[in-house]
Amino acid sequence: MEWYGALAVLLGSIMVLMAVGMPVALAFLAANILGAWMFMGGGAGVTQLLNNGFGSLTSFALVPIPLFLLMGEIFFFTGLGARMFNAIDKLLGRLPGRLSYVTVIGGTGFSTLSGSSMGSTALLGSLMVPEMIQRGYKKHMSIGPILGTGGLAIIIPPSALAVLLATLAQIDVGALLIAGIVPGLILAGLYIGLIWLQTRLDPAAAPAYEVTPLGAGEKVMLILRDVVPMLSVMVLTVAGMIGGIFTPSEAAAFGALGVLILAVLYGGLTMDALRKSITGALKVTLMAYLIVFGSATFSQLLAFSGASRGLIDWATGFELAPVAMLLVMFAVLLVLGMFMEQISMMLLTVPIFFPLATNLGFDPVWFGLIMLLALEISFTTPPFGLLLFVMKGVAPPETTMRDIYTAAFPFILCSLVLVALLIVFPALALWLPGR
Amino acid sequence: MRPLVRAYEAVLTSMAVVAGSMLVWLMVSIVWSVTMRNFGMQPPAWLFTSSEYALLYMTMLGAPWLVREKGHVHIELVTAALPEPAQRVVSRTVAALCVAVSLVLAWKGAELFLTNVERSDYDVRAYYTPKWILTIAFPVSFSLMAVEFARFVIGPELLHSGEAGVHE
Amino acid sequence: QDTLTAVHAFPETLIYTQSFLEFVDKVNERGEGVVQIDVRGGPEAIGMFQQADAVRNGVVDMVYTPGSFYGGALPEKDALVASNLTAVETRENGGIELIDSIHQEKMGVKYLGWFDSGVCYNLWTRNAPELDADGNLDVTGLKLRGNAVYNAFFTDYLGAQVIDLPTTDVYSALERGVVDATGWTQIGLIDLKWNEFLNYRVEPCFFSTDLGVIVNLDAWNGLSEEARTVLQEVAIEHEAASVEALKEKRDADFAQLEEQGMQVVELEGQARADYLAAAREKTWARMKGLMEEHPMGAGNYEALIERFYDPAADAQ
Ligand code: NA
Ligand code: NA
Repeated sequence: MEWYGALAVLLGSIMVLMAVGMPVALAFLAANILGAWMFMGGGAGVTQLLNNGFGSLTSFALVPIPLFLLMGEIFFFTGLGARMFNAIDKLLGRLPGRLSYVTVIGGTGFSTLSGSSMGSTALLGSLMVPEMIQRGYKKHMSIGPILGTGGLAIIIPPSALAVLLATLAQIDVGALLIAGIVPGLILAGLYIGLIWLQTRLDPAAAPAYEVTPLGAGEKVMLILRDVVPMLSVMVLTVAGMIGGIFTPSEAAAFGALGVLILAVLYGGLTMDALRKSITGALKVTLMAYLIVFGSATFSQLLAFSGASRGLIDWATGFELAPVAMLLVMFAVLLVLGMFMEQISMMLLTVPIFFPLATNLGFDPVWFGLIMLLALEISFTTPPFGLLLFVMKGVAPPETTMRDIYTAAFPFILCSLVLVALLIVFPALALWLPGR
Repeated sequence: MRPLVRAYEAVLTSMAVVAGSMLVWLMVSIVWSVTMRNFGMQPPAWLFTSSEYALLYMTMLGAPWLVREKGHVHIELVTAALPEPAQRVVSRTVAALCVAVSLVLAWKGAELFLTNVERSDYDVRAYYTPKWILTIAFPVSFSLMAVEFARFVIGPELLHSGEAGVHE
Repeated sequence: QDTLTAVHAFPETLIYTQSFLEFVDKVNERGEGVVQIDVRGGPEAIGMFQQADAVRNGVVDMVYTPGSFYGGALPEKDALVASNLTAVETRENGGIELIDSIHQEKMGVKYLGWFDSGVCYNLWTRNAPELDADGNLDVTGLKLRGNAVYNAFFTDYLGAQVIDLPTTDVYSALERGVVDATGWTQIGLIDLKWNEFLNYRVEPCFFSTDLGVIVNLDAWNGLSEEARTVLQEVAIEHEAASVEALKEKRDADFAQLEEQGMQVVELEGQARADYLAAAREKTWARMKGLMEEHPMGAGNYEALIERFYDPAADAQ
């Protein structure tokens, strides 16, 4: 079968199945059975599908997701989260959308270091979304910034994905990491501008009620009692990672332990809260893992059947101006990214894109950064970005996929603006690493 | 019939409880091995391997329970736009399709399990673990998922709510 | 004309994959009109550790993978791991023929060739490695990265504190000081950029790479006589050619590392002999134990060692 036939079969079946309301994980599995049967030699292909699922599930890289979820759920159900956000609310006074800013700043700080976009989306989603909705924020004011921080996490160092990309593409790891700093700060600035704009256009999106001004003593008291201890769990988790005490994958376990200890100290740890936290974390983990199980093999089918390679070769086969070529590559990444996971995409595209980029006269570090952005954007692009489903799992039950799509959209736009800026002013990326 | 159903429900729930314990075990095993390591001791290798295996068992043991809880996300854009009788047909058809998928995987999973036994395959990590101990999770899990989806085909409840705005 | 589908275990940019792709090009050139290999991709097409099962089950016809990735099915791969010879000598002395027959019997696959052999492993460390009074390597306090292949040697003999990490996590683990030493092949450190953190190489090197091409037996038997001849001939030529190519690559890598300040610490005399013997014997012991559990038994044990290990080669 020609590559476009394979592509049509695979993408067509998954889109139809999801559209008629088949659970996402089952839709992937169904498309996999069909694809495995067609492209991997019948029944043996379906067995291979199970072997693949086995391989992708027994991988330590998945460990942070349930543990960050557990951390977030314990924060929420023991009332520690409420304490912290009440305090921040009082401290920041009447700035509209203050918790959205807190999400961008805190979320960037955290997810940038945790190294797992799914894990940190899970943590921030389960922690922030219910709290912010309780305080009268519209959903998009919490969901949007959380989905946005993933994009920051991947380009602000340290970034595990950047290291992997640099290794695969044989470019300077240090230069790629440093190249992400300025664009990362610009993106954070765009997010903050966006939130400001959203609260200006729709003042009802975030509560702007009067708060009684606090005396200096009360402020210090609030900070010491309700903010510092909670933040210190995150700070210690991050410090342990930087200090080499544990790896990023292991850090989540210590985060969860830290919150448990705090909950005991603050007297919020009831049996009921513990049971609810574990159940909540388990539900989202199972949902996300079964999707990982299905989508990992789907990625492989796209590659093995020749569909994705065909698409790449076709798209890059045109004789276009360098910038147009760049946009084509960017678009290919976005399309593939809706259905494939990030590491498979890198393995597939790096050997083709980097030589091409060099031929076109692009700086490989600059191109690497653009590619990282495309990878992360695709993770949150409707309709199938994986983080959108994780968010659906952790958000309150009345949140619809449509809510999540509309919340994600403006933040994706910010990332696209950043890409445009990088194309027009490559120095934004290349000045700091001195290239 | 009644006690049989209740026994089945109990099995499903206890599988979920085991899955929850696996989640807690992940935390405990990691904290344990990192602590040992930082005190200059060699954490036993099974600690690391057990957490990787826990990921698989957790997913497979918990997945049927999650079907009952309607926790597998789906997109309800098309179904919500249909008139109610059509909705019901689509919802039950989708559930039936899920049953079919689960059955195929249960069947292939059973085959894989038998092959692993017959070939005496090992999963090689810190230890050589007989692979069937792990792959037996597939037929068990997917069979029970098939049963749970079947309840949405013929039972009183529907998999979809039909209310895109509310219970998607 | 026959066509075989193929996948490779490592990413396309890695040197070992490039070597396999060269082999494919040679086959496709010489086999025009007779046999062609259609490469479907690497770990993005079929997971690294699932490729051996895929070729056994006929999902794909040919796989290029380290034997260690299917050591659970074929513990005899440890004969290659502990080997101090290359494919050239073991092709001549019947070693590869023996390993091929074991592959056919245990896994239903044809062992076509042992590529990229003659490359061994070193221990690489961040800080100057310490030697005890007898000149033995002292690993106390060393945070050593391990995996299933090394651990029999690292933990059982060296008594090291091993941290199991996948290759992809090693860079950041070195960066943050989670580990400060690792084993790796003589080649490839620069490609992985680990040389940014590692400053010492411990000699002698131990073990050998065990990368080989396996072909589904039904697919192999279904080929025309002519196709099989082309494949086997090209494979034998590539076995020899890849030894030479990688020797050059190793010398170039070593020179580049030395230029950047990589220092070499050499174990000597009895300490050196003990180190090498331990690496070898711990691996053989593991192989024997696992062979005995299999219905086929350990009957081939002596024959494997005789063909894949030459005591005279260590003395140099
Ligand atoms: Na980062
Ligand atoms: Na995606």
